[in-house]
Formats: sequence, structure tokens, C-alpha cells
Amino acid sequence: MQYSQKVLDHFMKPHNVGKIENPDGEATEGSPACGDQVTLHLRVNPETLIIEDIKFQSYGCASNIATGSIITDMALGKTLDEASEIHWKDAAAELDGLPPQKMHCSVLAVDTLHAAIRNYKERHGQAKRSGFDKEAILDELRKVIYPQVGEDIVTLKMVKYVGFENGEVIIDLGVPKFDQYRDNIAEEIREHLEKFEAVKSIEINM
Amino acid sequence: MALIYFDNCVTSQPAPEVIEAMLPYMREKFWFPANYVRHGSVIAADIDNWRRTVADSLGARPGEIHFTRGGTSANNLAIKGFVTANAANGSHIICSVVDYPDILTNAAFFEQSGFEVSYISCDRDGRVNLDELRDSLREDTILVMTTLANHTVGTIQDVRAMRGILDAAGSQAKLLVDAGQAYARMPIDVNDPAIDMLTVSAHKIHGPQGVGALYVRKGVHLAQMMHGINRVDSLETGGVSIAGMAGFARAVELAFDDLPGAIAHIRALSDYLLDRIESAIPHTMLNGPRGEERISHNINVSFDYIEGEAMMMMLSLQDIVVATGSACASQGLKTNYVMIAMGRTHEQSHGSMKFTLSRYNTREEIDLTVEKLAGIVAELRRRSPLYNPENE
Repeated sequence: MQYSQKVLDHFMKPHNVGKIENPDGEATEGSPACGDQVTLHLRVNPETLIIEDIKFQSYGCASNIATGSIITDMALGKTLDEASEIHWKDAAAELDGLPPQKMHCSVLAVDTLHAAIRNYKERHGQAKRSGFDKEAILDELRKVIYPQVGEDIVTLKMVKYVGFENGEVIIDLGVPKFDQYRDNIAEEIREHLEKFEAVKSIEINM
Repeated sequence: MALIYFDNCVTSQPAPEVIEAMLPYMREKFWFPANYVRHGSVIAADIDNWRRTVADSLGARPGEIHFTRGGTSANNLAIKGFVTANAANGSHIICSVVDYPDILTNAAFFEQSGFEVSYISCDRDGRVNLDELRDSLREDTILVMTTLANHTVGTIQDVRAMRGILDAAGSQAKLLVDAGQAYARMPIDVNDPAIDMLTVSAHKIHGPQGVGALYVRKGVHLAQMMHGINRVDSLETGGVSIAGMAGFARAVELAFDDLPGAIAHIRALSDYLLDRIESAIPHTMLNGPRGEERISHNINVSFDYIEGEAMMMMLSLQDIVVATGSACASQGLKTNYVMIAMGRTHEQSHGSMKFTLSRYNTREEIDLTVEKLAGIVAELRRRSPLYNPENE
């Protein structure tokens, strides 16, 4: 498995590394325990809502650093709404592709960008915290990548059932018994759902 | 720039003398052993000599050595063969949570087939908990397995104490030792303490890939797992590489010519590497024990605040080969099980680097590597949200 030259370039010489003093919006996603974490800081023009400065820090592998770098390039100069449209597949494509096992890095980087934009909007009264429901769970599951093919588990129809009642999330997944990524998928799902206050417990059946 | 190679626990460079020893068996003497005909008899005699060479290196008898297609093949022939042959005597197997994957995957295979497996825990340095081993022994325990030198952190297990526990309990269980990492890096005598089965691999000691050996103590019965024609070995049937065996035997001769000297040399290099890392780079932690309880060629260090695959790749781009415990670089994106079993955090596992040295490494290579590594660690820490330079 090989990284593209562009991934290597952004890994070796990433753009926009660092922090912004008193940022207008910020977010940290992922966790060191899972092996990758990205922090993003935004400076936003309050008149035009254009991202005028963006900085990132990354704890993670080469593709984590490269996707962090590329999304700062992609978001810089865009309005918040334009930047919200960036999809993880766009970021991966901008890097001339990522190995399927590394697609989750692109999801994490773009997720962090979207969270930082949401953070700006919340701070400036432009967005309310949305409620948490089954649809929100599905949105999170769309960020869980099956490393074998580099596509999310909802698109791949691996999610057979989603239940949500009294804070209990129940997810039925179709994953082959001897799949080497079983533990990884469960871990990813927990990482994505545990951050929501509304979630009290998560049951994953495979 | 020439490649600087610190991944000898995975595979090592074949010695030039090994390649020389193999060539005749690929060019002219390409035959399998046979009786009564001159060409086949020559090969049969050669194999006898090679078997004696390997046997001598372990204190075994030639008849107790089986050439195999590698370490994993040796482990499979031994574990599956022994358990199958002795299933009538019991259905309980013991190994540890930090054993080599060959052992753990075979244990899991038998667990799925109805056997019970006890997985012994370890301490913070990877030493198997001997009290737990004693308590786990049962009347129906047929096999106890251990990895003599841990493949991740180099911890040498106290096989003498394990033997003592089995003997004191009057256990029928046989003791299987995977010596893949330990062979030629520490003295091994299969009679002191008594070991029933032991496996080694050629390509980890500058021999060729695709050949290994299985020691089976006389009187220990293994069922045949690999069915087919007996060309070279009764357990590893079919055509086993003759050139491979020739190279293996030569590698053993080279390694055991002055084993104490070779071990002292590698240990001095490893100590030097660790000392250089610890003096040049802050916020590190050695994984596994220090000193004599650690196999001579292994140094495993966690670097705080950063992730191992990034370090490994940056070194690789400068032609320096190391390994990491990071999940990102693993099959199945899994956290390293040895590190977790030793009570390391996920971060410490993700941030671990493993250097396994060989006699071909030099102090100059170590100096250059640590110089590059210090720069890489500083740069990745600068990028890391977990690192706060104000804490310096």
C-alpha cells in the first residue's frame, strides 16, 4: 500500500500548522487513545463570514497530518457555508486518494472542520445545538469507515438496525465473524457516539 | 545512502557466507535426498550434517530436529501435532497474553474446537505471572506454551521457573517454547531447563527465508499435520528447500562460532542506542525490562505526544527502517496487544518504536539514526495538540 506523492508532500511539509490566539471558532475531534486527534482554530471575518486564517494540529499518522493540512488549504478563503460543504471524499480526492484503511483520517479532518464552523456559529448565535435522534446517529455512522474498502458503513449497508431510546443506542451490524476490522469498527462507532451527552449506553451487535 | 536496518526481529539480511553456502544447491546439487544413488546420498549426508549443526546449537540430538518451512510452520506442526496426538489426555492448554501470534492464533483455533485455554497475564515489563501459571495448572492440562524472548519488548521469560512449576506439580503437560527471537541471541539448552518442543527460524539469524526448525524431545509424540510424501522430514512433508537448509546451517555456524562474544557485541550496541535516545530526546519510556532480562537485540521506546507510524515513515523516507506499535501501522488497525497487556496506555502503544539490531549495525548508524530521530520527534511534537512546549 502506497501513499500518493501529494500525501507525502503534505505529511513532510504540512501547511497551516499551529494555533490561533483567541480563535473565533475551534474544535478538537478524535482521541489519542484511538491513535488520531485533530485540533482546528479559525479566524473568521464577521462581515463576510470568510475564513481568513486557519491553523491545525494533529496527533496521528502520516495521512492524519496530510488530511489536516489539505483541509486547511481547502477551507482558507471560503465562507463558512462553503467550507461546510466540503466532504471527506473531496479532501481525499484533493490528496490524489488515500488507502482505504486511511479514509477515516479524511473523515476526522473534515469532521473537525465542520465542528469548528459549528462552534463559531454557536458562539455567534447563528446556530442552535440540534437535538439528538436516530437520524443524528446515522449521520455519525456515515463517518465510520470500513477500512477494507474505504467507504462508510451506512453506504455499504452494513448497518442493519439503529435503535435509540432513553439514551440507549442499539446498533446491529453485518460484519463477517472473522473480519480483521471488527474491533476497529466497534471502537470507531463508540468514539463517534460517546461524545454526545444524550448517549448513555451503546450496544453494538455484530 | 545505504539502508540502515533496525527491524531484524521481522527478518534479517542473509549473511554473504549464507548465500555462498546455498548457491551450489541451486546450481549443481539441486537434488532431494535419496538412498542407494550417489547424487541423492550426497544430499542425505549433507542434511544429516546440517541437522547436527542445528542440534548442537540447542544441546539437542540430531534425531530431535525437524527442518520446517519456517518458524510459523514449526509452531503449527508442533502445537497442532501435539494437541491432536494428546487430546485423549486432556483438553486444557496454557499460554500467556503476550505470546507470539503463532501461539495465540493456534490457541484460539483449539479454543474454537472445544479446548479450554488459560491466558496468563504479565507484569509491567512483560514477565509472565508465574503464580498464575501455577494456579492455572490442572490435571487435564496437556500443553504449556511460552515465547522465550518477547517479539515486541524483548522480555526473556523465566523458562526455568516454568519448568520447576510443572515438575513440582507433577504435571503431565509438555512445555513448548517459541525461540524465534531468542535463538542465537542468548544461550539455549533444551536440557537445562528441560524443554519438550522448541521452534526457531533461519531468516531471523541472517539465514534464508522459508526455513526453520522444530525440536521435539525424544518420546514426545506429534501427530502428522502435513500429509504427503516424506522427502526430507516426516512432519514437514514434501519438498523442503535444500538450499534453504544449507543456508540455515551456515547461519547457525556463523552465529554460534562465538556466541558469548556476539551477544556481548549486540548488547553493547543496544545499550548504546538506548543511552543515545534517552540522552538526546525528552519524554521517552523504555518498554520492557532493562539489562539481562531483555533479549540482546531489542530496544522498544515510547515517545510521548506523538504517533509511531508518522515517526516510522519519516525515518523510512531517510532510509532508516524501524517498527512501531501504532495501530495505524498494524493489520486490522489494532492497538498492540503486548503493550496493552503490559499496562501501557493506548497513546504509549501508538507512540512506541521498536529497534531490533543485528551484527551488521554500527555505532555510526546509531548516531545518525538518533540525530534524525531527535529532529523528527521535535517536529511531530510541534504539530501535536497533545504537546505543550511550556511544560519543558
